Amino acid sequence: MQREELQRIKEEALKELETLKDPIQLENFRVKFLGKKGKITQALRGLKELSLEERRELGSELNQLKEYLEFEIEKKRREILLSEEEKILDLDLTLPGRRPFLGGLHPLTQVIEEVCEVFTRLGFEIVTGPEIESEYYNFTALNIPEWHPARDMQATFYLQNGALLRTHTSPIQIRTMLERKPPLRIIAPGKVYRCDADVRHSPMFHQIEGLMVDGEVSFADLKGVLAYFAREIFGEKTKLRFRPSYFPFTEPSLEMDIGCVMCEGKGCRVCGQTGWIEILGAGMVHPEVFKAVNYDITQWQGFAFGLGIERITMLKYGIDDIRLFFDNHLYFLESFK
Amino acid sequence: MRVPLSWLSEFVELKATPEEIAEILTLSGHEVEEIFDPYERLGEIITVKVLEVSAPEELRESCLCKVSDGKEVFTVLTTAKDQITVGQVLAFAKPGSLTFNHLRIDYKTVKGYRSEGCLLSPFEAGISPEKNRLLILDERVEVGRSLYEVLGIKEPVLEIAITPNRGDLLSIYGIARELHLITGWELKPLLIEEKKEAHFTFPGKIVIEDEERCYRYAGRLIKGVKVEESPFFILKRLFLCGQRPINNIVDITNYVLLELGQPLHAFDWHKIRGGEILVRRAKKGERLLFLDGREVELHPEDLVIADRERPLVLAGILGGEESAVEEHTGDVFLESAWFNSKSIRLSTQRHRITTESSYRFERKIDPEGVLLALKRATQLIGEHLCFQAISEIVDVYPKPYEAPSIYISLKQIRKLLGFEVALEKVENILQRLGEVRTKGEIYEVKPPSFRQDLTLPEDIVEEIARLYGYEQIPMTFPKAELFSSKPRPDLLFSKKIKEIFRSFGFFEVITYSFINPESLSKLNLNPQDRRLKAIALDNPISSALSIMRTTLLPGLLETARFNLHREVDNLRIFEVGKIFYPAEGLAEERETLGFLLMGRKGEALWDGKEAKHDLFDLKGILEELALILRVPLKFKPFSKEPFLKTGLSFDIYLEDQKIGFAGAMKKIIVEEFELKEPLWIAELDLDALLVCYLKTQTTLTPRKPPKFPSTFRDISCILDKFIYYETIRDFLFQLQIPYLERVEIVALYEGEPIPQGKKSISLRFWYRAEDRTLKDEEVEKIHEEVAKRLFEHFRAKPR
Repeated sequence: MQREELQRIKEEALKELETLKDPIQLENFRVKFLGKKGKITQALRGLKELSLEERRELGSELNQLKEYLEFEIEKKRREILLSEEEKILDLDLTLPGRRPFLGGLHPLTQVIEEVCEVFTRLGFEIVTGPEIESEYYNFTALNIPEWHPARDMQATFYLQNGALLRTHTSPIQIRTMLERKPPLRIIAPGKVYRCDADVRHSPMFHQIEGLMVDGEVSFADLKGVLAYFAREIFGEKTKLRFRPSYFPFTEPSLEMDIGCVMCEGKGCRVCGQTGWIEILGAGMVHPEVFKAVNYDITQWQGFAFGLGIERITMLKYGIDDIRLFFDNHLYFLESFK
Repeated sequence: MRVPLSWLSEFVELKATPEEIAEILTLSGHEVEEIFDPYERLGEIITVKVLEVSAPEELRESCLCKVSDGKEVFTVLTTAKDQITVGQVLAFAKPGSLTFNHLRIDYKTVKGYRSEGCLLSPFEAGISPEKNRLLILDERVEVGRSLYEVLGIKEPVLEIAITPNRGDLLSIYGIARELHLITGWELKPLLIEEKKEAHFTFPGKIVIEDEERCYRYAGRLIKGVKVEESPFFILKRLFLCGQRPINNIVDITNYVLLELGQPLHAFDWHKIRGGEILVRRAKKGERLLFLDGREVELHPEDLVIADRERPLVLAGILGGEESAVEEHTGDVFLESAWFNSKSIRLSTQRHRITTESSYRFERKIDPEGVLLALKRATQLIGEHLCFQAISEIVDVYPKPYEAPSIYISLKQIRKLLGFEVALEKVENILQRLGEVRTKGEIYEVKPPSFRQDLTLPEDIVEEIARLYGYEQIPMTFPKAELFSSKPRPDLLFSKKIKEIFRSFGFFEVITYSFINPESLSKLNLNPQDRRLKAIALDNPISSALSIMRTTLLPGLLETARFNLHREVDNLRIFEVGKIFYPAEGLAEERETLGFLLMGRKGEALWDGKEAKHDLFDLKGILEELALILRVPLKFKPFSKEPFLKTGLSFDIYLEDQKIGFAGAMKKIIVEEFELKEPLWIAELDLDALLVCYLKTQTTLTPRKPPKFPSTFRDISCILDKFIYYETIRDFLFQLQIPYLERVEIVALYEGEPIPQGKKSISLRFWYRAEDRTLKDEEVEKIHEEVAKRLFEHFRAKPR
C-alpha cells in the first residue's frame, strides 16, 4: 500500500461519488469501496504490512476517507430518496377528492340559531311552548277577545278537539310570565300556523318572540335593542326605520323596516318600490297583558317583539319562494351547508 | 282602504305629492301599500285612427270599421254608424279590458263579422256622462297610446292598510282629519245645515228594544224618489274606490259610507209593515233572505231591524232581499245607526259575512257622526235626484256617548318612552288630540268621539310618540341587572342531536306538522294503532294537510319522493320535530327524531367503489348515536312495525321501554310512495331519550394511554347458523374472563366449505394487564379455557 495508491483510491471515490444517481449505484459504490472486499477495506487490511509510522499516517487518512465516504453516502442516499419522490406520477390530481361528507342543518334552523345567539349575548334566555294552544293563551290573554277584529289579522287553524294551532309565538310570553316573576328576558323560537298558502305565505312557518320585563325598560330601549339585532343580522350599515303600528298586546306598538337588501333603497319589486322592507313588529307590553298574568303595572314595564324567520332568511339569501323551505330539495339544502 | 286623492283634496289641503303623502301616512302607522290609477287598471284602452268604414246590409244598424293603432289594424263593429268617418281618432278598448261601467270587452262575432274590441263612448271610458256618442279625439292626437295618458287624466288612489284599532280612518274624511292631525294642513269643517220647516213629520215609529246592542238609531223618510242610475260623479267616485254601482239610492248610501265612514241602509218604505221599525234581537227560528240570495237562520244573539212581523235586515251587516230598494221603489226609509261593535262582530263570525258596513261597525264608528251622514245623504239626494218630499230626522239615542277621561302625567310619559320629551311638545300634542285639562301634574284628556281607540294612558303615550315621530325618539340600551340563566337542557339536547346527524352526513329537513291521512294509511298500520288516532284540523287548507302528524315518517317519505322525482337518488335526511297525540287538555306533543337513508352512501367517485346503504349502516348510525350520547340503547330484532320488513328491522329499547324502531321499508309501501328500494328508516322518541341522557351525563370515565402492551388470540369456529353474535358475546361476558379487554368479530363466513346450516366465525380476544406485561403462558392458559368453554357451550367445532 502506497501513498500514491491511497491518493488514487481517494480520487476515484470522490469522482465517482459525484456521478451517483440512484440507490443501486449508491449501493454498488458502497460495496466497491466500503464493502468487505471494498477498496478501502482492503487497503486498511493492507496496512499491516507497513511500518508503524506509515501505518499510523496512512491509517488515519484512510479512516478519515472511510468516514467521509460513509457520511457522503448517507447524505447522498437521503438526497436521492428525497428527490426520487419529487417526480410527477402517472396520477391525475385534478380528479375530485373523497370528501368526508358532512350533512347540513336546515337554513331556518341556522337562522334561528343566529338570531337566538344575538339575544343570548344580551342575556336573553331561550324558552319554548306548545304548538297546539288554547284560545286563551293564543288570543284572550293577549288582549284579543273573541269579538276583536284583530283576529282577522291571523287566520287560525282550529282543531277538532277545540284547541288551535298557535298563530304566533306570543302565547309563550303569557306562559312564561305566569310561571315566573320579573325581571325577565326571554326569547322564544318556534313553529306557528296560519291558514295561508302562496309564494309568500306558508301554512306553517317560524317565529321568534322576545320579551323583556324590568323596572324601567322603555320604548327607547326597545328601539336600541332592535337596532342592535338588525345590525348584527343584516350588517353594520343596515338602514333602519321605525313606524307606528298596532298589535292588541302592545301599546305603543311599532314595526321596524330595514333598507331593502335587494335594491339598497332604490326601489324594486321586493320592497314594492318603497326601498324599505318590514321585518318585525314590537311594542311595549300592553297593561291588559300584564293584568292577565298578575304583574303589577305600577312596578313593571317591558317590551315584546316578534319576527318571522322565513322572511328574514328570504331577505338574507334572496329567496323568492317560501315553499322552497318545506320542499326540502337536496340542492337547496346543500347550498346552506 | 282606497283613497282617491281627488276626493281627499275636497276636505284637506294637500301640500305634497302623492308619494310624499303616502310616506307621511306610512310613517304615522297607516301603511300605504300602493299608489295606483284605477283608469290604468281598466286594461288596454288606446287611441286609434279610423282607416275604413263599411256598412254591409245584413248588419243593419251597425257598421264595420277598420282602425289602426299605428302598428296593427283591427276590425271593429259599432252602432254609431252615423257618427263615424275615416280619419277620426277614437277610443278603442281591446279584448280583455273593462269599461268604466264594468263591462268586459271580448271578441264577438255578429252575422259572420268579427269584432276585435269596442269603440267607446265618453261614458264607457269614464270621462263624462255622455252615452250617446262616440268619444272623438282631436285628429292630431297620436294613435296607439293610452287614452288616459293622451287626455291627461290622472287619478292617483292610495291603497292604505288601516289597522283594526283605527275605525275612524275607514273614510275619506277620516283620512283627511288624520292628515290634518299629523301635518297641520287645513281641514275643511263638515257642516250641513237643514231647515227644519222644510221637512214633514215622520209617519212611522222607531223602537230600540235592545239598548245594549244598538246605542243610537236615526232615520228619515224620502218620498217619491225615482230609482235609476246614479249621476256620473257618484259613479266615478265609486269606480275609483272599487265599488260596483247598484242604483242611485244604494249608491248614495255607499258614497256616504266611503266619504264619512258611517254605514247607511235604505229600505223600501212600503215593505216595512205598519211603518214600525223595531231594533231587536232575532227570535229562534227566524230566517232571513239576504240581498246576495243567501238565506240564513238567525241566532237569538243576532240583532235585526224588523217590522211588526218579520226581520228585514241583519243589523249593521246585510239587508234583506225583501225590503231592498229596487226599480219600482217610490218611498225610501234611510237608516243611520250606531251598533255595538262586539255584537256585530259576533254576528259576522257566526254567519261568515263581511260587508263594508259590518267592517266599519266592528271597528267602531263615530257616534256623533250618525246624523251628519244622514244629512249628507239627504243633501246628495236633494241636489242630484228627483224626489217629492223629505221627512224630519227621527233620532233615538237613549244614552248619549260620553268620552272617557284619561289621566296621565309627564313623568309617566317619560318613563314609558325612556327619554326626556319636552313639556311643550307633550302639551302641544295633547291639545291637538282632544280636550285637555290640567290638574296639578296630571293631564285629563278627553278624546273626540271618533277616537274610541284611546282609552288608556298607554294609548295617549303612543299618540305622543307617533306625533312626535318614532324616528325622533332616541335609541338606548336597557339598564338592567346582569343575570343569565342556564340554557334549557331539552333545547341543548335537540341541538346536539341535530349536530350529530349533521356530522353523520345527514341533511336536516323541516316538513309540515300537518300531514295527509292518505300517507298515514299507506303505512299499513293496525286499525288499533295509536298513530291512526291523529288530531284533525277543523279548517285545513287541503286534505293533504289535514291531520296533525303522529309520526315523522310521512313527511320523510314525501320529502324523499319530492327529491327522487327531481334528480336526487341518494339521500340521507333527518328531521327533529314534534308529533302530536290527542290527550287531556290540549294535546300530547313529543319531540321526535326521524331519519331516512336512500340509495348510495356518500358520493359516487371515479374509483368505482360505491355501495348502497345497508342494514348495518342504519344500525351503525344508531350505535354511534348511543355512544356519543352515552345512553344504553338496545336494538332488538325484530320489529313488529307493520311497514318494516321484519327480517331487516329492530325495535329500539331503553331499558324496558320501546322508544323507537329502525329497518327497511316494505317493498309495496316503498312503491306506493313512488320510491326505490332499499329504503331505510328509523324513528326515536327524543323526550324519552332525553330523560336517560340527563341521568347518564355524569358517568364519563376518561381512558388513559396504555402503559403495558396488549396481546391478542383468535378463535375461529364453526357453529350453528342461528346462534346470534350477541348470544355469543353475552356468554363470553358472563364468563368474566381475566385480563380480557375486548372481543372483536374479525370474520364471518357462510357457504362452501362450511356445511349447510352452519357458519364460521372468527373472534379476536384482546388481553391486557394494568400493571405488567402479560406473559404468553399466562394468556395461553386463560385463552385455552375460554376456547374450551365456547366450543362446549355452542357445540362449535374449530375451523
